[in-house]
Amino acid sequence: MDLSIHDLVKRFGKLTALDHVSLEVAQGSFVCFLGPSGCGKTTLLRVIAGLEEADGGSIRLGGSDLSAIPARNRNFGVVFQSYSLFPNMTAARNVGYGLECRRWDRARMQSRIKEMLDLVHLADQAEKLPSQMSGGQQQRIALARALAPDPSALLLDEPLSALDAKVREELRVEIRAVQKRLGITTIMVTHDQEEALAMADLIVVMSKGRIEQIGTPQQLYREPATAFVADFIGRMNVLPLDPGPQDGFRFAGTQLEVRTAAKGPGTAPAALGIRPEAITLKGTEAAGPNVLPASVRTVTFLGNITRIEVEPDTRPGTGILVELHGMARVPALGERLAIDLPAEALRVLS
Amino acid sequence: MSVTTAGASRPASHLPGRTSDRSITLALSILAAIPILLFLLLPLTGILLRGFETPDGFGLGNFVQTFGAERFWRLVGNSISMSLTSTLIAVGLAYFYAYALQRAAIPLKPFLRIAVLTPLFAPSLVQAQGLILLLGRNGALNRFLGFDIDIYGFWGTTIANALYAFPYAYLILSAALAVADARIYESAETLGARPTRIFRDVTLPATRFGLAAAIFVVFTLVMTDFGNPMVIGGDFSVLATEVYNQVIGQAQFGLGAVIGIVLLVPAVLAKLIEKRISSRQHALVTAQSKPLTVKPARGRDIAFSVYAYVIVALILSVLAIVVLASFVRLWPYNMSFTLRHYQFDVQNGTAPLWNSVGVSLATAVLGVAITGLTAIVVHKFRNPLTGPLSMLAILPAAVPGMVLGLGYVLTFNDPANPLNILYGSFALIVILSVYYNHAHAFLISSTSLKQIGSVFDEASTTLGGSTLTTLRKVTLPLLWPTLLGVGVFYFMRTMVSLSAVIFLVTPSTQLAAVSVLQLSDRGALNQAAAFSVCIMAIVVACLVIVRTILWLAGARNVTLIR
Repeated sequence: MDLSIHDLVKRFGKLTALDHVSLEVAQGSFVCFLGPSGCGKTTLLRVIAGLEEADGGSIRLGGSDLSAIPARNRNFGVVFQSYSLFPNMTAARNVGYGLECRRWDRARMQSRIKEMLDLVHLADQAEKLPSQMSGGQQQRIALARALAPDPSALLLDEPLSALDAKVREELRVEIRAVQKRLGITTIMVTHDQEEALAMADLIVVMSKGRIEQIGTPQQLYREPATAFVADFIGRMNVLPLDPGPQDGFRFAGTQLEVRTAAKGPGTAPAALGIRPEAITLKGTEAAGPNVLPASVRTVTFLGNITRIEVEPDTRPGTGILVELHGMARVPALGERLAIDLPAEALRVLS
Repeated sequence: MSVTTAGASRPASHLPGRTSDRSITLALSILAAIPILLFLLLPLTGILLRGFETPDGFGLGNFVQTFGAERFWRLVGNSISMSLTSTLIAVGLAYFYAYALQRAAIPLKPFLRIAVLTPLFAPSLVQAQGLILLLGRNGALNRFLGFDIDIYGFWGTTIANALYAFPYAYLILSAALAVADARIYESAETLGARPTRIFRDVTLPATRFGLAAAIFVVFTLVMTDFGNPMVIGGDFSVLATEVYNQVIGQAQFGLGAVIGIVLLVPAVLAKLIEKRISSRQHALVTAQSKPLTVKPARGRDIAFSVYAYVIVALILSVLAIVVLASFVRLWPYNMSFTLRHYQFDVQNGTAPLWNSVGVSLATAVLGVAITGLTAIVVHKFRNPLTGPLSMLAILPAAVPGMVLGLGYVLTFNDPANPLNILYGSFALIVILSVYYNHAHAFLISSTSLKQIGSVFDEASTTLGGSTLTTLRKVTLPLLWPTLLGVGVFYFMRTMVSLSAVIFLVTPSTQLAAVSVLQLSDRGALNQAAAFSVCIMAIVVACLVIVRTILWLAGARNVTLIR
């Protein structure tokens, strides 16, 4: 069943946490809500779960309105950031809790608990208390507990952010595998762009209670629609356009060529964006339509890449990041050179 | 749209759309509110009303009469000077005692921590008892060493009350000194500050809120304490003893009520100021703070060890002498060992002791049920009653036991009150004990509930659990060690409580602490001592039993002594 969110509004006092949010989540897809803290992504998830009440708008699941249905009857499986396993119950009892609430009979419950523990590879931990398990194990039990009552959707609220980096990566793969196997509609909230890019079918980027852009990971990386998305997903140089009336795109006194195919949907162009790895460094003698003379301001060696900040001669004060991969020749501090901004890599940002 | 109309005005954390749950939560809130109104708010308004009631209708007659008497102002002077001196002594000594335990390396800290709390296990007149046995007319010092000390009066009351209030001050100051950010101390040290300067510039400012709280709590406690001045005051009267004389001695309820109101004023003021001060105490210690570890420093450690052990010796010797006196034939003339004071063949025998145990157990059970319910309602079921309910729940913190007890007499001995049937029964004493200690017990439960947090409720809700299922299967199983601790708190306080219940005891409802008072009053010092020892033994036994239960159940970090 598709989840359809329409014109959702949520306020906390003066703060508008959700500002007319609309969204469609297709059956069986994995959707990530991505954004900085305070952008409203967790609030949106909690409203969907029924843990917060919206001030306006509607949520429909397969055509039926959820607004009047309390959280406990919505049949969504929720996994929280802090593991939230009941500390007084064993892993098995935690997994069976939702079934107890639904008054399943004992035999059916036992087999379901076993099935769920097998699903997360923790059958041997059934009788352990949460305090006797590692963070990663607890979160897998929490996942099993959320899935046990066969929910119509799985809602994950930053499920990995309390875990160590290595466990986080393991669990990332495991959650995705379980989700694909069960074909369950899943929404995950995260502030980690790498996590979102790695796991999601569809990413919803949010900022200040609004949706900035919705797209597949590839779309968002290649074609960010706004400066916010460009900067939040990966790194992107934002080149503010020269003031004054213009018909093309003038930056630092140079008319830049931009491939229209790469033009974003924004109406009023405010800036151009370009990824650091798309820029090439050339000698001072280089010339061409999108080549600007510049000088090297800082050089940071980061192992597999070297990050160089250059300053265009005609726009001093504006730093542009360039990333060189591998063992390329690294320019010296203060060295004069030219940067080439390929037309097909430039994005128009609104 | 239903969402917009239904939910616009309700608090954000509320879970929506559960009609049956909502009526359950409202019903439970009302259930929690009714007894508070009847047994807390009603008696307090009762005092105010009676204060203004005169033979010619409502008026200021009682106030005019009381304030016009020269004797009243002398008592006010006595009360204030005694309370100020006591507070200064208790808080001053307790500060450095807590400092020694938190910030110096001294041997046997666990012993020192427990030993200093022992006055909490005894009725609030045991200090006076001990001082009389030690320094009184027939005390050990006067008798054997030929001193001629007159302890009865200002200094006797002041010292006894300072000893009585010491553990209360210590608990607050110890908590204030326990939190410290090592980084600040390290910075001060690397900047070249000497220890005394660090103390003045870092430690003292960081603990000034705790210090203020301790001063207010101790001042109120001492000002409204009744047992010690009664036993050792001699001709030195204070307001607390005057209320007793007016009400019990002369049946002057109106005049007693006026003094009750007068005693309520400093208590309420102190509470308001304390709240104001503590609301400004935030973020002294942040998540990044490094806890302070005590580094040995020879000179300082020796000095503080000596200090701490002297204080403990003082506190314990006052108690020890009471224990000793209970085992000798006739203090101090005949010091041969005997158990005959434990026969309790005077007055009502051991009946008051068992009455006290029964009342304290009943208070523990009822108290846990009431404060547990109130705390759960306030923290887990938000509704329009939540705010007023939590305010009422902590109101007793500003009401001295004596004043509340007086309110009970004034309210429930009125034949027109349908609850008059409770008057003269143990039930009313139990209820009084519950509400006298309500604020503290409520705060203990609240803190624990806040630690449990809302995430388990939310997890349970999304898994399909109703409010009551969550309560039964998740909240209560997590809360029980705390609730047991609350029960112990109620039991302890009720066993030793004197000033709250003094107005409610009748010949058929005698209580142990009151018996101690009456025995001392009659000069039966050895029997009084034996009675005090029994009270202490029962309290200690209760602590040991509950500690064992908690230990066996694996709940090891529940504080029992508060």
